[in-house]
Amino acid sequence: MIEASGLTKRFGQLTAVDDLSLHVDEGEVLGFLGPNGAGKTTTIRMLAGIIAPTAGHALVSGLRPDQRPESVHELIGLLTESPGFYDRLSAQRNLDYYAGFYSGIDARAQVPKYLQLMDLWERRFDKVGTFSKGMKQKLALARALLHEPKVLFLDEPTAGLDPEAAQEVRDMIGELGRAGRTIFLSTHNLEEAELLCRRIAVIRTHLLAIDTPEMLRRRLFRRQVTVQLEEVPGNVVEAVRSLSFVQALDHDGNRLIVDLADPDRNRPELVRCIVEAGGRVMAVSEERHSLEEVYLSLVREEEANES
Amino acid sequence: MSRRRIQNVLRKEWTVILTDPNRALFVTLLPVLIVGQVMLVIWLIVEFGGEGATGVAVFIASLAKLKSAFPSVAALPVVEQFQVLLLSQLGLYLLLIPTMIAMSFASFSIVEEKLSRSLEPLLATPVRTWELLLGKALSGALPAVLVTWVCGGLVLLGVVGLGWGHLLRWVTTPSWYLSLFLLNPTIALLGFLLGIVGSSRAKDASSAQNIALVIVLPVLILIAVQVTGLVWFTPLLTGLLALAVAAIDVLVLRVAIGLFQRESIVVHWR
Repeated sequence: MIEASGLTKRFGQLTAVDDLSLHVDEGEVLGFLGPNGAGKTTTIRMLAGIIAPTAGHALVSGLRPDQRPESVHELIGLLTESPGFYDRLSAQRNLDYYAGFYSGIDARAQVPKYLQLMDLWERRFDKVGTFSKGMKQKLALARALLHEPKVLFLDEPTAGLDPEAAQEVRDMIGELGRAGRTIFLSTHNLEEAELLCRRIAVIRTHLLAIDTPEMLRRRLFRRQVTVQLEEVPGNVVEAVRSLSFVQALDHDGNRLIVDLADPDRNRPELVRCIVEAGGRVMAVSEERHSLEEVYLSLVREEEANES
Repeated sequence: MSRRRIQNVLRKEWTVILTDPNRALFVTLLPVLIVGQVMLVIWLIVEFGGEGATGVAVFIASLAKLKSAFPSVAALPVVEQFQVLLLSQLGLYLLLIPTMIAMSFASFSIVEEKLSRSLEPLLATPVRTWELLLGKALSGALPAVLVTWVCGGLVLLGVVGLGWGHLLRWVTTPSWYLSLFLLNPTIALLGFLLGIVGSSRAKDASSAQNIALVIVLPVLILIAVQVTGLVWFTPLLTGLLALAVAAIDVLVLRVAIGLFQRESIVVHWR
């Protein structure tokens, strides 16, 4: 549904996005992560046909945004970093205006539908200038959805919102994803990305990694299994160490910390070995690295490479 | 579809104008002030300058041109000839109204979008640059033209009200009508397009107005060349001038579209 091939954008001497290639399947929610100035917004603008790439190209639903921006704009919804409304006009008038640019939609039905969906119906005649940031963001999401786009580009949709408003917006994005829309979600919120997205792309001018959060974890970190015992006798340690699939072993108080070749397959055998050696197992858990750790690891690795 | 989108821009711009009392007042009060001021000046010159004013060198040539265009004027007393000369300038003078309104409105038109950050979501819709710019230009030009026509009516009422009704036949000439109904709309559109060009390139409304100010100068030159007798705007000349301005409108619209670089606007406007 979305494809970028060697997408590059330079502003004078500055390369904002360098040779970015990725694809997003139909109905997929892709998280797009990166530090400030990494080129996230520039990428979205290129994919959405707002600015043209310096090199490479993009395809959205088979159309090139740099060649047929108006056709692409009929298919996509864009939630910009800043909501950007006419503050002196009412919420409904603002949406009416934007709806008026799309062909084949019934603004009289769509505008009320999304005002109600975003819980803004009661405030529809109020000037947008009187709205809170969260309300403006929900209104901006309504605007992006008015023409029922197949593809949504969301640029920092929860940035600067209070926790309650952020949760509401997040819930709505989740619903849109479940409804089968293709969503390209740029965010700084890693929990949000993990919660909403099937795959994560990490960018720092160029693409650092793209995969499911789980695969990124596996790629970057060893998987460690922690076994909590009533006590750790020496023969248990020896028995575990003798197992062929144990790559490293450490113990801390009554806990054994074990690196396994294939944790999913090796875990039952590990437990059986400990029990047979007389160990009394209280709990078995796997240390799970957060997406934040994954992200920081990727970004720091890149920084180290650069320096 | 283009027509619908242009109308959409028009309606939005008008709604914004109506919700801004300052601008609504500006569009209604300014023209009345311009007309009132010029009528007062003519009255003062006639009342207190009298025949003496006709001896001013600058008017001698223009009076000769006037009498050559309308020989019947020569039969009038000298003061009334002078009155006719001054009143004849009003057709061109009224062009200042759409120009001033254009400068003010068009300058705000894009700059306000910059300030409210509303342009990027707008550029993500299927609207084309020319539809957006033409919609914005017309949204200002149409009311400006209507207001100027109303002011043209006020001028005629003023002429009658001041007891100069018998001079109307030399005021409401074919040139007057051509200026009001042909030149005025083309100048109004030009003013708005230049204002939009200005505001596309400027960072704030006042810089945009400074850029748009360039349109006032040609209008003042038009008035100056006629009042000094360099050129007398006959119907043919006025019609040709209107056609030339219409051609410039098309050219400036193309320039405006070229200068309205989406990328620069989206990336560099902060």
